[in-house]
Amino acid sequence: MHRKTKKPVRAAKPKTKKRDRVAKLQTKRRAGVAIPKRRQFSGPPQLEPGAPSDLDLMLAIQASDPDALSQLYDRYNGILKALILRVVHNEAEADDLLQEIFMEIWNQAKNFSAQKGKPLGWMVTLARRRAIDGLRKKQAYARAEERLQHEIEQQPDAWVHNATEEEIVLGDTRILIRKVINGLPPAQQQAIDLAFFRGMSQREIAAKTNTPLGTVKTRLELGLKKIYDGLKELRDEL
Amino acid sequence: MNFEEFQNQSRLYVIGALEPEEVEEFERARRKFGKKAEDFITECYGLHEAFALSLRPAKASAAIKERLMSMVRARKEPNPRGPSSNRLIHPG
Repeated sequence: MHRKTKKPVRAAKPKTKKRDRVAKLQTKRRAGVAIPKRRQFSGPPQLEPGAPSDLDLMLAIQASDPDALSQLYDRYNGILKALILRVVHNEAEADDLLQEIFMEIWNQAKNFSAQKGKPLGWMVTLARRRAIDGLRKKQAYARAEERLQHEIEQQPDAWVHNATEEEIVLGDTRILIRKVINGLPPAQQQAIDLAFFRGMSQREIAAKTNTPLGTVKTRLELGLKKIYDGLKELRDEL
Repeated sequence: MNFEEFQNQSRLYVIGALEPEEVEEFERARRKFGKKAEDFITECYGLHEAFALSLRPAKASAAIKERLMSMVRARKEPNPRGPSSNRLIHPG
């Protein structure tokens, strides 16, 4: 594992199991100690009381309400821009794509169905597809490839983040999810990163990483299953 | 393909990582397992959301929202000349 060096003070802290952390939180709750509110692990950012839900906003967009789109933009532009940026590696292109994607959200809202998932999932799927299409169309692909290659060499496990126990107890969606992802061996992280953020097929990943196709398939299957199970466990724990 | 194998394939499917020759077999299994399969695939799309949420949010340029909203409002505004004004008028 190519993990970043931890800060000495934090590295000295003993690791605690999830079960212990939950028990600690329960003890604090029983003792009436105020615990910072934890974000929903797979939901939207915490909303103010009375604020419309994502679904409310989607329904309003379906009814052609521009203010609903404006609110949805304020809520999610940061997340979607980060995703696009991760794909195209270019700030100006990411901004242009972000605008196109929100326009597509406006135009395609009628195709959204709450039975098939949550609004954020739908938007992310749409944004990812659009960003990968954009990447493939543009000549910048080769340059982005170079930058990506450089990143892989510099930081093979780019998702790695040293989440401290304090951060986890305080809770932050991003850190919780990253912790699950970071639990994977770097080779599995890399395969998933190339598939999800670069839209690469198994064969392309095999060629790029000089790995047998069967190994790539196994890495993807194992890695995705671990993330899926890890997220499910988090959901149950919360 | 049993359901466990289908589950593994579903996770690859939602991120677009199935090879073309695997998609056909996957679609057959999808039909075989019916609603159970559809529910599982829907659940797997949650991975998209999780991957996006694992990234540090980025700041978009302020001009983007302005441009977006003006485009949306322009599309929403009805044509002042009425819907028929763009049609070709055929003589006779």
